[in-house]
Amino acid sequence: MTGPATGRFPGFDVLTQMSHWDQVTADLISARTGPQQAPEFFTETERPTAAALLNQLTGQGDEPLRVPIMEMVDARLAAGETDGWRYADMPEDGQAWRDTLGYLDKDAHAQCGSSFAEASHPDQQKLIQAVQDGGSDGQWHGLPATRVWSLWTRYACTALYAHPHAWSEMGFPGPAYPRGYKNAGVGKREPFEVADARPAEDPVGDDA
Amino acid sequence: MPTIFDQAVRDRNESAWLLPNDGTRTNHRLRRDMRRFDDTDEIDLVIVGCGAGGSVLAQRLARKGWRVAALDAGPFWDPDADWVSDEAGSHHLYWTEPRVIAGDDPVPMGSNNSGRGVGGSMVHYAGYTPRFHPSDFSTDTDDGVGADWPLTYEDLKPYYQAIEQELPVAGERWPWGDPHGYPQRPHPVGGNGEIFLRGADKLGITAKVGPVAIVNGRFGNRPHCIYRGFCLQGCKVNAKASPLITHIPDALSHGAEIRANAMVTQVVVDQRTGRALGVNYLLDGRERFQRARMVAVAGYSIETPRLLLNSASRRFPDGLCNEFDQVGRYLMVQGAPQTAGRFDAEVRMYKAPPPEVSSEEFYETDPARDYKRGFAIQTVSPLPITWAEHVAAQGHWGRALREYMSDYVHWSCLGSLCEFLALPENRVTLADEKDAHGLPVAQFAYSQCDNDRALMKQARTVMEDILHAAGADEVITINRYAHLVGGARMAADERHGVVDRNCRSFAVPNLYITDGSVLPTQGSANPALTIMAVAARAADHLTGTA
Repeated sequence: MTGPATGRFPGFDVLTQMSHWDQVTADLISARTGPQQAPEFFTETERPTAAALLNQLTGQGDEPLRVPIMEMVDARLAAGETDGWRYADMPEDGQAWRDTLGYLDKDAHAQCGSSFAEASHPDQQKLIQAVQDGGSDGQWHGLPATRVWSLWTRYACTALYAHPHAWSEMGFPGPAYPRGYKNAGVGKREPFEVADARPAEDPVGDDA
Repeated sequence: MPTIFDQAVRDRNESAWLLPNDGTRTNHRLRRDMRRFDDTDEIDLVIVGCGAGGSVLAQRLARKGWRVAALDAGPFWDPDADWVSDEAGSHHLYWTEPRVIAGDDPVPMGSNNSGRGVGGSMVHYAGYTPRFHPSDFSTDTDDGVGADWPLTYEDLKPYYQAIEQELPVAGERWPWGDPHGYPQRPHPVGGNGEIFLRGADKLGITAKVGPVAIVNGRFGNRPHCIYRGFCLQGCKVNAKASPLITHIPDALSHGAEIRANAMVTQVVVDQRTGRALGVNYLLDGRERFQRARMVAVAGYSIETPRLLLNSASRRFPDGLCNEFDQVGRYLMVQGAPQTAGRFDAEVRMYKAPPPEVSSEEFYETDPARDYKRGFAIQTVSPLPITWAEHVAAQGHWGRALREYMSDYVHWSCLGSLCEFLALPENRVTLADEKDAHGLPVAQFAYSQCDNDRALMKQARTVMEDILHAAGADEVITINRYAHLVGGARMAADERHGVVDRNCRSFAVPNLYITDGSVLPTQGSANPALTIMAVAARAADHLTGTA
């Protein structure tokens, strides 16, 4: 994956370890990295909006797309694979996605004179930031903004961090059965793990 | 070599020896040869739910010769074929049927606190199995909060000991509550446990390794843990205890039937006598009725109240066992703030079971504080998706999120369990919304009280102090919830609860509730062990061996 975190774990690629995984898990991860099924849930109008939103949320806005977030979220929604709950003041997840993608596009037309997908990346980011900020009354198009934000980021993060490219970027070796680990402890590594090349680069330090 | 201790356990629960020893995890023959009852057989007991409570009850009663069938809405898992070493791929382990959450502080459900299938949520619990403290049984008398149980710690103690041996539990000698030892020695700790022990030691806070229901060494045919860190995704090793491997095999070998994929929709009651006749359930899309002499509901704190409310009839118009408006009430979650600390060294917290080290130093009421009751602190080791939730909660998204996430190997993470108090308005009711079968879904309302908020705040402070003392240069916290108990609590009488001290419902003499919903308080302990102990005690009561 190219991007801000490139090079932190030089040469580390989770997928090279696949021969050490149990077959059921290996099959699942292979399917995840292979061709995705064509979107079924999002309509043709919703698809570009969903893709643009999810790419921005996962930091793939300015980069070559590596993790097919929109397709992964679509597959979940098509299968009705929710988290098993909804807030009383929100529609169920599928409808909430449709509604909020529509509102986002509406905001883009009103503020940028284009669809959300066709807006510039800074404009897309501004429109998304407005939802996170929640406005003065915490409402966004009649929905509680924090809950819209929770819906978007939950689905986006679950898809992104299910992907082996994202694991490689963070030095996490992924599936671990049946091999397990032998060198647990502070400062210890397995032979197949790669040391962080920039260990003192604390991202939180800047604004904490 | 089997020890004398192992043999003593085997004599009363052979589960670990009934599993295969060839590297596979399921005894398929035992399942194939399972006894099967007809719907028209009036069996001795039908159990609704095969989790912590239902499975223990089934195993105990089958051993005594009872004709028992235990129905579960989910599958009869085979760890080899059904479970993966992956977070997103474990979604099917959770109860993800629709539920509505409400109140001032709504509690997300699903992966965090709801199981599905044989083994229940213990299939994906971390594995912590602490006992409750003696004080948990009298918080009203002692502190004027919560409730008194119609039981004492001493009533449950022999059952705690029995279950700890059957799981078995590994840990250091436990100095808190009623001090006790564990059947297995503590596991070695990984990076996260090391950080917790280091920080606690610097501050003079006692922390101990355990108590964890993961075998340390071979136990029967269950192999040693391989420390792969995926405890919350179902243990593919058979090292972490869940009823699927600790109680169900023995139940099967003593003639119990486990009927998987059977969703119970109603407890049927004779309108003239008021006694339970059996349960309606759905299997393969067909509606069926299992007759039974007795019914035990063990669907946990959301589905148990929902089933009782959905079992309303002419004789019980407001729902079964609900004449005094007690069903669904006093449902509790624990406040579970999670604090992470950043270290220049690599911690790699994913390399060990998430449950490693705990402290119950702050469990009891401290007269110097302006709140009652307390909290426990434990290691938690989130994998990437759950870690992303922690990072995203700080407000990061886009490139910033990815950058913070790339720092994963440097973080250590602690979680607290704060004893939220039992409040009548925190409850399950039926929503207007219906599920795929046309049954009203549960609506769960939750609002914190001032005491709850004060505990969360203090727990966060202590965790931040520990991580700083261990050398963290930054700490970040997310407020979460953990566990469920209550919703059909035990009480001295029917005006204050749904069941008596033996888990028998006040309203229907042959209806029992044997799951976490009967707990009147929760302490700061993970509830699994206590749920099993309560069910084991109810079983002794039923068979007259109490």
